[in-house]
Amino acid sequence: MVGPTSAPEDVLRVEHIAKRFGPVTALKDVNLHLKKGEVLGLLGDNGAGKSTLIKILCGFQKPDSGQMFLRGEPFAPRSVDDARAAGIETVYQDLALIDELSVYHNLFLRKERVHRPVPLLSNRQMKREARAALDEIGINIPRIDVSVARLSGGQRQAIAVARTVNSDADIILLDEPLAAMGAKEGAQILDLVARLKAEGRVSIIMILHNYVHVFQACDRVSLIQDGAIALDKPTSETSVDELTEIVVNEYRRAREAAHAAPAPQPEQPGPA
Amino acid sequence: MASATQDPASTSPGGPGGPAQPRRALWREAGSRIVALREGSIILITIVVAVYFSANTSTFFSGGNLETILPYFAPIAILAAGEVFVMILGEIDLSIAAMYLFAPIIYYKLNTSLGFPLGLALVGSLIVSTVIGAVNGIFVAVIGINSFVATLGTLFTFEGLSLIISKGTPVATPGGQIPVGTFGKVFGAGTYSELIWALAIVALLQLVLTFTRWGVYTVAVGSNKLGAAEAGVRTNLVMIRNFMLCALTAGLVGIFEAIRSQTVQPNPAGPNEILFFAVAAAVIGGTLLTGGSGTVVGALIGALFLGILKDGLILQGVQANYLLFYTGLAVIIAMAANVYVGRVRRGRTGGG
Ligand SMILES: Nc1ncnc2c1ncn2[C@@H]1O[C@H](COP(=O)(O)OP(=O)(O)OP(=O)(O)O)[C@@H](O)[C@H]1O
Ligand SMILES: [Mg+2]
Repeated sequence: MVGPTSAPEDVLRVEHIAKRFGPVTALKDVNLHLKKGEVLGLLGDNGAGKSTLIKILCGFQKPDSGQMFLRGEPFAPRSVDDARAAGIETVYQDLALIDELSVYHNLFLRKERVHRPVPLLSNRQMKREARAALDEIGINIPRIDVSVARLSGGQRQAIAVARTVNSDADIILLDEPLAAMGAKEGAQILDLVARLKAEGRVSIIMILHNYVHVFQACDRVSLIQDGAIALDKPTSETSVDELTEIVVNEYRRAREAAHAAPAPQPEQPGPA
Repeated sequence: MASATQDPASTSPGGPGGPAQPRRALWREAGSRIVALREGSIILITIVVAVYFSANTSTFFSGGNLETILPYFAPIAILAAGEVFVMILGEIDLSIAAMYLFAPIIYYKLNTSLGFPLGLALVGSLIVSTVIGAVNGIFVAVIGINSFVATLGTLFTFEGLSLIISKGTPVATPGGQIPVGTFGKVFGAGTYSELIWALAIVALLQLVLTFTRWGVYTVAVGSNKLGAAEAGVRTNLVMIRNFMLCALTAGLVGIFEAIRSQTVQPNPAGPNEILFFAVAAAVIGGTLLTGGSGTVVGALIGALFLGILKDGLILQGVQANYLLFYTGLAVIIAMAANVYVGRVRRGRTGGG
C-alpha cells in the first residue's frame, strides 16, 4: 500500500455509524474508509451487520447516528437514487431482481433508456446495450428477453452484478456476489473485479465469506464484530490463519461468557 | 398436455427453428405460442363463444344487437382497465363502485349548486375521484393497511356519503337531457361514445403498462416490492399513482353512465354489481391478483366475453339466471388457465 491512510485519498469514509432495529443492535460504532481504486473485503459472521452497513452506504437505510463522507464532502443520501446520482451502485444480497421482468428490463431498472420527446421505453436500445454489456463482462446468458425467473441462481447473480457494473458508478458495493456461483462463474466475477480495479476508475467494497476469495481479490480486509470493525488490514499483512484466529477467539470468548464453563473445542470455521 | 409442457423457450419467436419440422409440431408450436400469450386463451374462448351464439341465434351479428352489447361491455372494460393497474400491484380496489356512484353526484352538485359549466363540473368531479384514489393509495402504501380492507372502508364511506349528499333521490343528469348536446354525446350519450372511450383508454393504458417506466415500475412493485425499492423505485409513489388512476377511470365511467341513462341514480346496488364484473373481466382476461402480471387488453376482452355471454344467453332465450353461473365458471377456468400458463412461461412446473 502506498502512503499512509490520509483523508484526501479516501473516496468514502464513515464515522461512528450506528443502527438499531428495535431491540437488535446491528451496528454499534463502525468506522470505515475506502480508498480510490481499492477493493475492500468486508467480513463478519452471519448477522454481524454487513448487509446493514451496505444498505446504509447505498442510501436504502438511514443510520441512527454517525457521519459519512464522500470524496471528502459530508454525505447523507436520502434515497437509493440519491446515492446512485453520487456514483454508488449496489448488488444486494437478495439481488433485487424482478422475476416478472425481462433480463434487459432488470439490467436497466431505474435507468431505463427512453425515446425523446415522448418518454416511451426504447426496448431495442436497451436490448442492444444489455447484450453488449453482458458480452463485455463475459457472462453467458443465452436470451435477454426472457424473464429472470427463468434463469439459474448463478445467472441471476450475474445479472445483478452486470447491472451494477454497467453504470457510471465509481463506488461499487457487492453483497456476497459469489454466493450462488459455480467455481467458473465465481472466477469470472473475480476476474471482472480485477479488471475494474486495473482500470482504476472504481473503488469496491465486497462482502465475502470465503477467505480464499478475499485474499484473491481484495487489497484490504475489514472484519465486523459486535457492531464495530474488529480488524482492518491490508491483505498483504494478514493471513487466513490470523482471520480465522480472530473469529475463533471471538467465538470462544462469547461461549465462555455465556456459559462461564469450560468451552468445548470449537470447530475451525475455515474457508467455506 | 404434451404441447404445453414442452420447454417454452422453444416456442419463442426468433428461436432457431429446426429444418422442415413435421406439420404436427408446427401446429403444436403455434398452439402453445397462442396459449403462452397472456391474452391468448381468452381471445380463443371469446371467438368460440361468439361463433357459437351466431350459429344458434339469428340476430347475434346484427347491428341492433351490437348496440345492446355495448352499454354493458364498455363500462366494464374501462373499470377493469383501471383495476388492472391495481391488481398488478397484488392489490385490489373495491372502492371503484363508490367512485362510480360518487363522481356523478359531485358532477351534478358542481353544475347545479355551484354553477360550474359542464366541462368544469366533469373535471372537478374527476379530481375529487382521483384524490380519493390517492387516499386509498396512502392507506395501502404508506400506512400499510391491506387494500381489501382499506378500499372496503372507502367503498362504504363514499357510497354512504353519496346517499347523504343526494338524500337518496335520483336527479336528472346535467348534459344528459334530450335533446342531448355535443358534450353529452361525447361523454356517454352517443351510441358509440363509451365504446370509443373504452378502446382509447384501453389502448392508452396498455401502452403505459408495456412501454413506459410507469408500467415497468408497476410490474416491479407487484412482483418484488422490496427488490424494486432496493433498486431505487419509489414504491409508495407507484402504488398511490395506480390507485389514483383506478379511481379516475371509475369516476369517469360513473359519469358516462349517468349521462347515458339521463339520471344520477344514488343506489349502490348497480355499482356494487358492476364492480365484481369488472374484477371478473380483469381475471378472465389474464390478470390474477398474485401481483406482477396483468394485461389491459386482456381485461377488455374479458369484458367483451362477459358482454357476449350475457347477450347470447338472453338471445337464446336462456334464463338470465344462468349468467352468474357461467361467469363464475369462466372466472374459475381463467384462473386455472392463467396459473398454468404462468408456470409454463416461467419454465417451472412446481408451485410457487
Ligand atoms: N430490516 C430489518 N429489520 C429488523 N432487523 C433487521 C433488519 N435488517 C437486519 N436486521 C438485523 O440486523 C442484524 C444484522 O443483519 P445483516 O443482514 O446486516 O447481517 P449480515 O452481516 O449481512 O449477515 P449475513 O452474513 O447472514 O448476510 C441481524 O440481527 C438482523 O436480524
Ligand atoms: Mg448479509
